[in-house]
Amino acid sequence: MSKERVIVIGGDAAGMSAASQARRRDPELEIIAFERGAYTSYSA
Amino acid sequence: MQNLETGKAWWEPYDQLMVATGAVPIRPDVSGVDAEGIYGADTIKTAINIIEILDRKQPERAVVVGGGYIGLEMAEALVLRGLKVSLVEQAGEVMNTLDADMGALVSAALEEAGVTLCRRESLQGFDVHNGHVKAVITDKSEILADLVILGMGVRPNSALAKQAGIPLGKKDAIKVNDRMQTDIANIWSAGDCVESFHLVSKKPFYVALGTVANKQGRIAGINIGGGNATFPGAVGTAISKICEVGVARTGLQAKEIENLGLSYVSSKIKSKTRAGYYPDAQDITVKVLAESGSGRLLGGQIVGKGGAAKRIDVLATALHAGFTVQEMIHLDLSYAPPFSPVWDPVLIAIRQVIKKI
Repeated sequence: MSKERVIVIGGDAAGMSAASQARRRDPELEIIAFERGAYTSYSA
Repeated sequence: MQNLETGKAWWEPYDQLMVATGAVPIRPDVSGVDAEGIYGADTIKTAINIIEILDRKQPERAVVVGGGYIGLEMAEALVLRGLKVSLVEQAGEVMNTLDADMGALVSAALEEAGVTLCRRESLQGFDVHNGHVKAVITDKSEILADLVILGMGVRPNSALAKQAGIPLGKKDAIKVNDRMQTDIANIWSAGDCVESFHLVSKKPFYVALGTVANKQGRIAGINIGGGNATFPGAVGTAISKICEVGVARTGLQAKEIENLGLSYVSSKIKSKTRAGYYPDAQDITVKVLAESGSGRLLGGQIVGKGGAAKRIDVLATALHAGFTVQEMIHLDLSYAPPFSPVWDPVLIAIRQVIKKI
C-alpha cells in the first residue's frame, strides 16, 4: 500500500498547525501544503 | 491546483484533504471601491504594499472605514506615521463587539490619539480621480483621502468548499464537527473559514481569529494523523489596542444576551492597574455581565492602559469553567502593589454585579 497522501489548502494558522500536528502523529504521511501567497504562518 | 506564476493547472489526488482557506476582507458594493489607493488589511503582501505606498507617495490624509480591531490598529499605525487620519464608523461608538458604554471609552481613546472620528456615518461610495481615490463619501459628509483602509470585517473564504458540495453554516462558514471534520468523508477544515461553537450561548457562531484557528488546526492535524482529539468551542475572546489604551472582550455582550432571550445584570467599575499609591498605576474599566437569578457569568469587557486589557483572561477562563459570579468572588488572584490593587479590578466588578443578581 502506498503512503497516505494529505493535501493542505492554505498555509496560515489553521493549515500549518494541522500539517505539523499530522506530521508529528504520523511520520509516514505524505503531506503537501499549497499557499497562494509568498508567506506562511503569518498569523500563527 | 494552479500555479499562479506559470498558469499551469493540474489535479492533485488526496486521501485526506485539509481546507484552511481562511477569510477575506469584506469589500463593500459601492461605486469606486476598485479605485487605486483603497486597501483591505489582510495579508503580509497588502501590508508591504501599503508601507511602500506610504514611503513613495507620502500620502497626507487617510480614511479608515470601520471601527473594529482592524480599523483601530490601522488608524493607530497611520497616526504614528504622521498622517491625518479619519475613521468612519456606522454605529454610535467604535468596537461594537463591546457594549456602547465601553465602546465610548475606545472612541475617546481614538480621538485622544488624534484620529478624527466620524460616528453614525455609513459609507456610500468613493470619489475617484484619474483612477485613484480622492474622497470617501458617507451619508453625511465627503472626507478627502489619499489612502483608504477597509476594516469592514471579513467573510469566510468558503467558495471552493461550497463548489465541492461541502455544507456551509453561519455566515457561509464551513460546517465542521468537534473533530474538525466536514460533512464530506476525508475532508477536514479549521480556522477563519469554519463555523465555531460558542460555549456560552451554546450556539454556532463565526469567529475569525488566529487564537481559535491555531487550536482548531492542531485538532484537525491530530485527527488527520490518526489520533482522536476534539475542539469544544470558544467564548469569543478578543484583544486589541489604540495607542496606550488596551481593549478586550470575552463571552456575550448585552445585545447578544438580549437576542438569546436571557435576562442579565451588569456592573461597570473603574479601578487601577496597580495599587493606587504605586507609580504608573493606570485607569482600568471593567464591565461584567451575568445571568439574572443564576449568577452565571455571561461576558466581560475591559478598557484601560498599562496591560489592563490582558486581565480579560481571568473572565475568559471563568466562562470556560461555567462559573457563577458568586463562585468567582473567592478566586485567589495574585496581588502585590506593582501588579494590582489588593482587590483585583475584575473581582471588584464581580462584587458589584453580585449585589444585583
